Amino acid sequence: MRYVIAGYVFVLATLFLYAVQLLWRRRRLTRAVARVTGPPSDAAGVGIAASASPGATATPGAASPAVPVGPVASGPEGAR
Amino acid sequence: MTSEPTTPTAAVPATGPAGGAAPHPPSTTVANTGVARPPVPSRRARRVERVIGVLALVGTAATVWLGLWVTPHDKVQGDLVRLVYIHPGVAWVALYLAFGLAAVASLLYLWPRTRSLFWDRLAAAAVEVGVVYNVCTLVSGSIWGKPTWGVWWAWDARLTSTAVLLVLFLGYLALRRVPAEPEVRARRSAFVALFAAVDIPIVHFSVDWWNTLHQGATVLNANLSPTIHGSMAWTLLLGFIALTLAFVWMLLVRYRIGALEDWLAANELDLALVERQAEGVPAGPIPGAGAPTGATGSRVGVA
Repeated sequence: MRYVIAGYVFVLATLFLYAVQLLWRRRRLTRAVARVTGPPSDAAGVGIAASASPGATATPGAASPAVPVGPVASGPEGAR
Repeated sequence: MTSEPTTPTAAVPATGPAGGAAPHPPSTTVANTGVARPPVPSRRARRVERVIGVLALVGTAATVWLGLWVTPHDKVQGDLVRLVYIHPGVAWVALYLAFGLAAVASLLYLWPRTRSLFWDRLAAAAVEVGVVYNVCTLVSGSIWGKPTWGVWWAWDARLTSTAVLLVLFLGYLALRRVPAEPEVRARRSAFVALFAAVDIPIVHFSVDWWNTLHQGATVLNANLSPTIHGSMAWTLLLGFIALTLAFVWMLLVRYRIGALEDWLAANELDLALVERQAEGVPAGPIPGAGAPTGATGSRVGVA
């Protein structure tokens, strides 16, 4: 009978752990999407800036907001 | 990718909890800037997913109860026969349902008239869940094999072809991790899935084509007349249904994960531009005022 119990425990535990891992991954991604699509928390747009990818935030050398495309464009590319 | 507790928007998930009062996320930023709206399942889809999950849980619990305590032991195998209520079920899902679905979805992706990344995501989800079921198949079969055959593993045709199938679809998952454009990744993944699917009929007919330790088909035999009956047959059927429902639930969740990952990857650049524009707007009237700190503040100061 111990082989039977071992078989049941392995299969059910594996499926359960995989299901929990799926839920955790979905929750993490859902929160990530909500963070980047949510409205800014204040006038300065800190809510968006706080959710920026590392590549996007590591551009302190950006000369002017009027030309925002250049430095930022390399951020996501590098992340990929 | 972890949530920031200091970000108020993190407290508002894109898909709401049980009530799901907000079918769409608070995506005013997205709507105003032309970034594509993130994929959000409808309330009905979420309800269906929840019902399937509950049914799978109840069905699995009932299978365990019937299989371990209610059904009689076998004249030849004794209590070992109780593994029949779970081992063929996971094998059915892995070998036929999951990998078969992956093959069909891959074929539909390659077919020009039905080409859509939906099929690619579906195939990827089916393969990942199928690999988990395949591992369960091999391990539970090995556990059954030790007291029956005297060995944990034998290079038997059924066992070997099943292990080959697992390796092939692990390769499929590895290939998907190689960076590429979504269309390129989908096309080459589809070809690999179809190549791997050739092994599915080999696994099924291996017990007929070769002399194997593994027994022949009990339910899906050549005469389509199951050689099992009574409470054992009903419990076996319930196990098949419960494990199939569990597969469907996992497939739905895994598909959603794939859709979210694709959306984040596809809109990464657009979202970065939105962030920069949002940072630039308030900087004009009061340059350097407020002495903000951090990266945002430094850019405001420069402006």
